[in-house]
Amino acid sequence: MALTLDQIRADVADVLGEDPADIPDDENLVDYGLDSVRIMTLVERWRRDHGTEVTFVDLAEQPAIEQWAPLLGVRA
Amino acid sequence: MRAARTLDRPATGAPRPAAPEGLPLTAAQSGMWFAQALDPGSPALNTAECIEIHGEVDPVRFAEALHRTVGEADALRVRLVAPAEGESGPRQLPIAIEPPGQGFPLHTADLRGERAPDATARAWMRADLTVPFDLATGPLFAHALFHVGDRRWLWYQRVHHAVMDGYGYSLIARRVAEVYTALAAGTAPGPSPFGRLAALVAEDAAYRDSATHERDRAHWEDRFRDRPAVPTLAGRSALPSLPHGLNGMGGTPIALRHSAHLGPEATERLRELATSVRATWPDVLFAAQALYLARATRSEDVVLGLPMMGRMGSVALRVPGMVMNVLPLRFTVTPDSTFAELTRQADLGIRDARRHRRYRYADIRRDLGLLGEGRALVGPLVNVMPFDYGLTFAGARSDAYNLSAGPVDDLTVNIYDRADGTGLHIDYDANPALYESAEVATHQERFLDLLTRIADSDPHQPLTALSPGTEEERERVLVEFNDTAVPVPPTTLIGPIEARAARRPGATALVAGEVTLTYGELNARANRLARHLAALGVRPGALAAVAVPRSVDLVVALLAVLKAGGAYLPLDPGYPAERLADMLGDAAPVCVLTDTATRPSLPDTELPVLTLDDPALRAELAAHLPTDPGRPLTPQHPAYVIYTSGSTGRPKGVVVPHSAIDNRLRWAQGQYGLTPDDRVLQKTPSGFDVSVWEFFWPLRVGATLVLAEPGAHQDPAALARTIREQGVTTAHFVPSMLRLFLDEPSAAHCTGLRRVLCSGEVLPRQAAEAFHRTLPGVPLHNLYGPTEAAVDVTHHACAPGEDGPVPIGRPVWNTRLYVLDPDRRPCPPGIPGELYVAGAQLATGYLGRPDLTAERFVRDPFAEAAGRPGERMYRTGDLARWRQDGALEYLGRTDHQVKLRGLRVELGEVEAALAADPHVAAACATVREDRPGDRRLVAHVTPASADAAAEAGPAPTRGPAPLDPDALRARLATRLPDHMVPSALVVLDAFPLTPNGKLDRAALPAPSAAARPGGRPPRGPREETLARLFAEALGLPRVGVDDGFFDLGGDSLLAARLVARIRATLGVDLALGALFRAPTPASLADLLHGDGGEGALGAVLPLRRTGDRTPLFVLPPAVGLSWCYSGLLEGLSPDQPVYGLQARGLNPGETLPATMEELAQDWLARVREIQPHGPYRLLGWSVGGVAAHTLAVLLQEAGEKVELLAVMDAYPADQWRETPTPGEADALAALLRMAVDDRPDGQAGPDGPEGEPLTRERVTARLRAEGSALAALDDDTLAAVLDVVVNNVTLMRTHRHRVFDGDVLFFTAAAPRAEHWLSRDAWRPYVTGSLINRDIDCLHPQMTRPGPIAEVAEAVAGYLGEG
Repeated sequence: MALTLDQIRADVADVLGEDPADIPDDENLVDYGLDSVRIMTLVERWRRDHGTEVTFVDLAEQPAIEQWAPLLGVRA
Repeated sequence: MRAARTLDRPATGAPRPAAPEGLPLTAAQSGMWFAQALDPGSPALNTAECIEIHGEVDPVRFAEALHRTVGEADALRVRLVAPAEGESGPRQLPIAIEPPGQGFPLHTADLRGERAPDATARAWMRADLTVPFDLATGPLFAHALFHVGDRRWLWYQRVHHAVMDGYGYSLIARRVAEVYTALAAGTAPGPSPFGRLAALVAEDAAYRDSATHERDRAHWEDRFRDRPAVPTLAGRSALPSLPHGLNGMGGTPIALRHSAHLGPEATERLRELATSVRATWPDVLFAAQALYLARATRSEDVVLGLPMMGRMGSVALRVPGMVMNVLPLRFTVTPDSTFAELTRQADLGIRDARRHRRYRYADIRRDLGLLGEGRALVGPLVNVMPFDYGLTFAGARSDAYNLSAGPVDDLTVNIYDRADGTGLHIDYDANPALYESAEVATHQERFLDLLTRIADSDPHQPLTALSPGTEEERERVLVEFNDTAVPVPPTTLIGPIEARAARRPGATALVAGEVTLTYGELNARANRLARHLAALGVRPGALAAVAVPRSVDLVVALLAVLKAGGAYLPLDPGYPAERLADMLGDAAPVCVLTDTATRPSLPDTELPVLTLDDPALRAELAAHLPTDPGRPLTPQHPAYVIYTSGSTGRPKGVVVPHSAIDNRLRWAQGQYGLTPDDRVLQKTPSGFDVSVWEFFWPLRVGATLVLAEPGAHQDPAALARTIREQGVTTAHFVPSMLRLFLDEPSAAHCTGLRRVLCSGEVLPRQAAEAFHRTLPGVPLHNLYGPTEAAVDVTHHACAPGEDGPVPIGRPVWNTRLYVLDPDRRPCPPGIPGELYVAGAQLATGYLGRPDLTAERFVRDPFAEAAGRPGERMYRTGDLARWRQDGALEYLGRTDHQVKLRGLRVELGEVEAALAADPHVAAACATVREDRPGDRRLVAHVTPASADAAAEAGPAPTRGPAPLDPDALRARLATRLPDHMVPSALVVLDAFPLTPNGKLDRAALPAPSAAARPGGRPPRGPREETLARLFAEALGLPRVGVDDGFFDLGGDSLLAARLVARIRATLGVDLALGALFRAPTPASLADLLHGDGGEGALGAVLPLRRTGDRTPLFVLPPAVGLSWCYSGLLEGLSPDQPVYGLQARGLNPGETLPATMEELAQDWLARVREIQPHGPYRLLGWSVGGVAAHTLAVLLQEAGEKVELLAVMDAYPADQWRETPTPGEADALAALLRMAVDDRPDGQAGPDGPEGEPLTRERVTARLRAEGSALAALDDDTLAAVLDVVVNNVTLMRTHRHRVFDGDVLFFTAAAPRAEHWLSRDAWRPYVTGSLINRDIDCLHPQMTRPGPIAEVAEAVAGYLGEG
């Protein structure tokens, strides 16, 4: 099943314990509580469920949904 | 082998003039650089890790992979140089790295042939970890590769923390694995994944110039505006992180590490718990550590250190370098919150910190002003490393282990998640300067146990369900440490006494001075009175007040009340009448027993009053039967009621039943085993519960009770006399009194003592040690207990040579002690909590105060859980902790914690730091508000004894060691954070005590209560000496001759101390009462005058008349007065009489001698009046030295023996003859020097400003300003003194010496002087024996200052063999 922008947002909101509506696409997710453990959780989840190949460093380097979308093969 | 050649400068073309080489350091790097610069030789900033590779490794290929990787990591290939002049900070310069085998820092070894290859490799690594890097040279990394088994290799790397952090290690390891794998496969490794150092530096600089930086600064400042004092497990809050090697440990402390493992099941349950509360498992670990810390330190506000990788959204994600930061993570841990809430705090706190993650920890501390104070902002660091590397080297899997994570200020908990599903690996790294190894292991064990219990419990339950200790520890402190059950028969306090009296009526029961009573006599007297009391209504459950000073009548009265079945209520007649009236009104006794002398000090009362020495009553009593009266008394009836003041509120009467005190006395007998030939001293006032065992224990077991005289309990000399003369074997001292007693010289002769018991306040270790030195072989026991639990509930036998605080020890029979946290759960050993007492000795409660009784005597849940419902426990309000061996340590009061300017100050901690100073015997810290609104921390200290000081180094004087408050403050400042360093230190000779002998905090003198300077100068040496002794006793820099001892904060115990000092120093017989009649130095000198002999200007000045040794005659310097020798008294034995000879011509009508010979003849006559024949002892300073030699020769010529001729820096006439005869100005200068320079604080020289001649007026003014006794001389006498001076120096110049047959003890003023030509060898022609010289490090005029004169006294005593 291909990953979508909504799914990315929903998964991020899930690991952060927030409402998806409160997660912006263009802001640094670190300010919303994203940390290395949660990034690893996302890396693992997306590899398992969607077969993506991103690494921890890829996601941690620019922690914003709009930056992640192309890396995850999703059109923003 | 690992030295690499470095390039001093990069190969560049044309020199570029302006731009400095290399790059500046990032803020993170700078911190590490500075830490290393503070202690260049320390290896503490080494970090290291080890990767175990399970498979075959080609070492050559591996070296190649390593070399390539290092070549790609420019952040690693640097050296760090100190800033050159004009530069703002250190810089990092690139270095070249040689290939493997040509200098690349890689050590390779095949250890397969070793017996234990792994151990050998580990040992090599441990040794390598202690090698410091040279930052300025580099390289700042080193590698090793060990072949330790078939298909097993260890790759070790050590890197300086300034260029690497934990995340950086993972980048390097990953790349090495990648390159190695590619090389093994024969393929090209991919392009370098690493970012550039320059990008890191640029990003760091950009951040520091950004608005974000300012926003972050404001955030942290706001978050920690209250500057919390952060608790640590070391128990020393916020200890400054001293540069390594400067922290008193010496050497180089590398963190103490303990490793442990949390199993996979518990780990999995923690993960599930985290998920269930929508947190991550690291959040759970933070919350658990915060909980543990809060519990272990009794704090609700705790701060953990949160290490931050610091790379999110940063170029640093790809740079193997030093980036990490530590941020404070604050928790509020209240008992009613839940673990879920605590986890939520962790989650929110970490998110909050992450938003401001780039702001450096050191900058936060700087902003809050904590750097200067050396205060930390965080307690333990919790470092969670969530990823395993999971690397493979050409298919061979590997495991990574951290070996050193860098310096540890306090404690770091490193937690590694093992990807192989084996759970969590948890390393505790502790600063060895703060923690014992076993202590670290215990904390770690408990933390793991707590994690397991958290994993098994409902996170929404209140935290009260989670205790800090393990189940095994709970069992130990509740059951094992309290295993005290001993069956005792159900008797009363009085029953065994009557049984004893019936069995051995002829044995001696009581001794009071000349009076002795047998058991039969005492029992009969008490029985008659008991029958009389019973007729008045004294019976079981009723009270009778007893207001009788220590006497036979007192003992009879107490026994009689008990025999009638009643409980006695002691009234101390010394209390204010209002308080006594309150007590009588409150307790409503049946009657009051007193004596004629005491009756007037009692309040008016309607109650029947029995005056025991009233002949009418005595006659009435004689009519009663002398046999034991019957009474329906049970062990549950009250035996006595003692009022305690408590810290707040009105005094309360503690009702103690027979069963409680009976248990206490049966335990004492079981523990200490008194025999009929024991004699127990009764000296404690009856209002203090220690008196209860003093009175009754000996009488219950057939021993003898010895009564000290009334008032003697505060007079050490009188006590020592009673103990010796009455053969006392058993005595009690409150520790403060013990110290006074030990200072009394005759205490050492009390060798008949078989045991001494201490209780009532903290027994300082130094007091215990002083006891063992003074009375070696006499057992000393430390006891503790509240009045509410029948005198004592713990006991500890002190052994000489132990260190640390003296414990209060273990529980007595049938007694349980609980150390409980605020939720009343048991604290494990080492963790402080409030002490509760349960068991046989509890009081019934407070008389007529059911509310207060219910508040302090609460349900004992532990007895209930053990199947014994309905038992109570008493809440002591004392803070204590268990030692691992089951003994208790007393830590102070639970209300002893204060806040000062928003900072928490544990006064006990300040006191402990003070008491640890070798010059301090005991300390008390208080917060005072002597001026409204000016609250400040004040410490009162007593100096360590001379013996204790002697252990630290040679003591210059006897008596108390000098204690300089400024120096003490400076030493404290190195041990305590600033806010805990007292703003004023007051040195006392002894602490003021309450009538019960406890420290009276309210009576501590205010620091400003120093004596007024100025005032009338002393009129003679005796007043001067007394003023000095007053000042010493009161801990004041100076006391005026008209200042009242009690006005300056003196009390009766201080008075006892002072009187003892005066007796020893002046050799006078002075009663304690004299000081009350004559409380100023002047009035006391007048009082002593009848004893002190002639006036200050007499021909003979008896400095000390008493003593059975051969008198010492001291001859005056040029001024003709021997006042200056009073300093000798303290250094010579109290048995050594000292007489000062003084010049003729000081008094009107006296003529000046014409020759030295005439002067000496004069003195010869005086000496013979006092001591008709030899051997003689002579000492003289300056002109007095020449005179002493002359007198000695005269005595020998008269056929007498001279056994001591001591000459203090005097030189024969030959050496002076050619110098000009001094005029009046020289005489004035000599006078000033004697008066001014012999003061301890006489730092200023005597001479006037350049060019101004000294006049009589100026000299007098100066003397007055210095408080010198000479200033009191009237003008005529001063003129006479000046004439004497001029005459004396003339006599000295014209004198012709003859030969003294014997040795001379000579003292040279060894400081360089103008008259360098003076030589003691000039005496050789005039002395047949040796010149035994002793250099005194001072100038000639300073020889009678306290330090030098004490050295002289010591040498004289030593020479005479009477030291």
